Amino acid sequence: MMAFNASPAATSILLVSVVALNLSMSGLAYGQAAQAAVSDPTNAGKAVFSRANCMGCHKWHGDGGGGYGGDALSLRKTELTKEQIIETVACGRPGTGMPFFVRGAYDTISCYDMTRQDVGERMPPEGGTFLRPNDIAAVADYVIAHVKGAGEPTYAQCTTFFGNTSRVCDIYKAGAESSSKTGTEGSK
Amino acid sequence: MERLSDHARISTRARLVAVAIAAGGMLAAASQVCAADEVTQERLLNVGEEPGNWLHHHQNYSAHRFSTLKEINRDNVKNLKVAWTMHLGGVEGGGIWSHGGLEGTPIAENGFLYVTDGWGSVYKIDAHGGRGVLVWKMDPKTDRDWAGAVACCGVDNRGVALWGDLVISHTLDGRLIATNKETGQVAWQRTVADPDKSEVITGAPLIVKNMAITGVAGAEYGIRGWIAATDLTTQKEVWRTYTIPGKGEAGSETWKDSNNAAASGGGSTWVTGSYDPATDTIIWGVGNPGPDWDSAYRPGDNLYTDSSLALDATTGKIKWHYQHTPNDPYDYDSVAENVLVDIPGPSGPRKLALEANRNGFAYAIDRTTGKFVWGVPFVKKVTWTKGLDPETGKPIEYDPNKPVQTYIASVTPSRTNMESDICPGNMGGKNWPPTAYNPDLKLWYVPVIESCNRVKVEVMTPEKLKPREFWTGGGTSQPFKITGSVTAIDVTTGKIAQKMETPFPNLGGMLATPDLVFTGQPSGEVMALDAKSLQKLWEFNTGGGVNAPPMTFTVDGKQYIAILVGLGGAWDKWFIDSTRELKKIQPGSMLYVFAL
Repeated sequence: MMAFNASPAATSILLVSVVALNLSMSGLAYGQAAQAAVSDPTNAGKAVFSRANCMGCHKWHGDGGGGYGGDALSLRKTELTKEQIIETVACGRPGTGMPFFVRGAYDTISCYDMTRQDVGERMPPEGGTFLRPNDIAAVADYVIAHVKGAGEPTYAQCTTFFGNTSRVCDIYKAGAESSSKTGTEGSK
Repeated sequence: MERLSDHARISTRARLVAVAIAAGGMLAAASQVCAADEVTQERLLNVGEEPGNWLHHHQNYSAHRFSTLKEINRDNVKNLKVAWTMHLGGVEGGGIWSHGGLEGTPIAENGFLYVTDGWGSVYKIDAHGGRGVLVWKMDPKTDRDWAGAVACCGVDNRGVALWGDLVISHTLDGRLIATNKETGQVAWQRTVADPDKSEVITGAPLIVKNMAITGVAGAEYGIRGWIAATDLTTQKEVWRTYTIPGKGEAGSETWKDSNNAAASGGGSTWVTGSYDPATDTIIWGVGNPGPDWDSAYRPGDNLYTDSSLALDATTGKIKWHYQHTPNDPYDYDSVAENVLVDIPGPSGPRKLALEANRNGFAYAIDRTTGKFVWGVPFVKKVTWTKGLDPETGKPIEYDPNKPVQTYIASVTPSRTNMESDICPGNMGGKNWPPTAYNPDLKLWYVPVIESCNRVKVEVMTPEKLKPREFWTGGGTSQPFKITGSVTAIDVTTGKIAQKMETPFPNLGGMLATPDLVFTGQPSGEVMALDAKSLQKLWEFNTGGGVNAPPMTFTVDGKQYIAILVGLGGAWDKWFIDSTRELKKIQPGSMLYVFAL
């Protein structure tokens, strides 16, 4: 039986200060065709970040923040280790909207030393897609390398994530706020 | 743009002409064919003269969503069957959204339907001959990540309007697009809203006197709301009226903070308004203030949030306003449509504007003066106030001298009540799904969300305001089961006439005909109810989630009911825990058309 319970002590910390957040359960996120340097070993993890719709709550930049249904934790400000991130992605966070992404979590896969019966009403939702252990390790590597401790989002980080096909990154350009305009007569 | 079945379109026109000729003396039919090419202000003002068509988003300028067609009636509605269906697109995700949904009202003109999907593609469908054929699709290539990242409540587009030989539509990424009705080619487009400022557009345009009126969404992201008018000939802006006054303007004194809260104060306008030609007045609902739940950040009444606004249609100048929930701490917006009705009064007809609010109360306002006439709770449970003042319509606990309203403080989100349960929940009450009004019965049908939910407050500071990031001052969770109802209000008395409870919230809206009302459920059912008793007379399960209102039209002399089916919007991302059975509903994108 596989276990994702790396550290029970850390688990209790994980469960503090979390607001329930409802996740959309289905489908792939748009924007996963983002292109980045082929040489970056964490590209696979970035693809998982999109494919598993992490950005649905944590946003592309991982900073999470307020939402209509509550806060998603900031992965930029997180203090979780790679192992703890792996555990959280695999098993979700009981009592919150963070889904589990490994097939059989709380059933054939041990999570925080709890079975589905133990976790009861606090059972986290099921992710829209299941991830293989390699995928989970890859997304944790990506978060550790590019998100955790990364400070405020930048234009370069945004275009690395999305590529250049969308205007989504324009506000991160220097002085973007002052140049944004509304109600101009120009046609696009 | 995709051009499909050109041949089919031409042959259809030929057949139309043949039908008209065959009709011989049936002048009505012939004149309809002749009128096919141009939508004019005359036609928009007189939609009662072409009952087989559905030319306005809300059916008429008064937003009645009432059709006089009665081939389908209470005696035979049990025989209603699917006539045809059509799969549409637009379910793709983008930004924070994993999929799109359908919230639109089809427009029908002379046997052709015009519908949109959530990303703003427009579909022209030939409904002649008892089947649907796609004539063309205009795909605006909406920038999904750009817009979808700042759409609070789903990948939505509520439909088109017609003008001249153009189909007028919006896109989530802020554009107003005019498409040639015959060819599907984009004639022109204009940027109206700016997603860089978290402005997006989900509503259908309202056409008034050669202008397209546009509303905006984004109060959860710190926008300053507006209503804008674009001249459809010059493609230039005629006016833009901000829903939050600028410094020094009337109403600015209702923002008493030192945070410059008004600049990011919300006041969205994302539901299509109505128009009173007698006074040349546009009446449009205004959304919640931001941050939604930290009301102490923005002391004061926060005009014109949570208000109905009357605008001079020619200039955009504000004629009157009526605010429902001053200094709103609940997210009880007033973005809903105003339904314009005239009822007999002691001294002549009373000209009312009706609005069913997120806060659980339905209001009748004198639409000439903006004064309160009556108000009535239409939900089963209201906890935030003891009721409305019978003179002013303000919540009884409202104190104009208080900078921060607390209403019933023990259940009101505040900096000293950081977690509280509110009824109705922040979705309402009544959300965007439109009401319908039967002018013969004087009954007004409200699609109701019977709800409570839990609000957690986050204390906001100016430093927390960031471009394109949520500005909600907290969040909600859903520990309570949410259900729904169709509630009929007698407009002559302001009293509840009937309530038909449903297992799920009404996320689609209403259609009224002389003796029926039609509506749907997010669990998939489309249903017909008796107009008086609200007894269910017919039901069909579409197998998808109904998140859009039904409408009706005729083609080849036969009446049809049409409805878009595809659960999207805010519900299945933010509120699904209150309706757990809906988690199994799959994303979809389908047009259903029913006939006897």
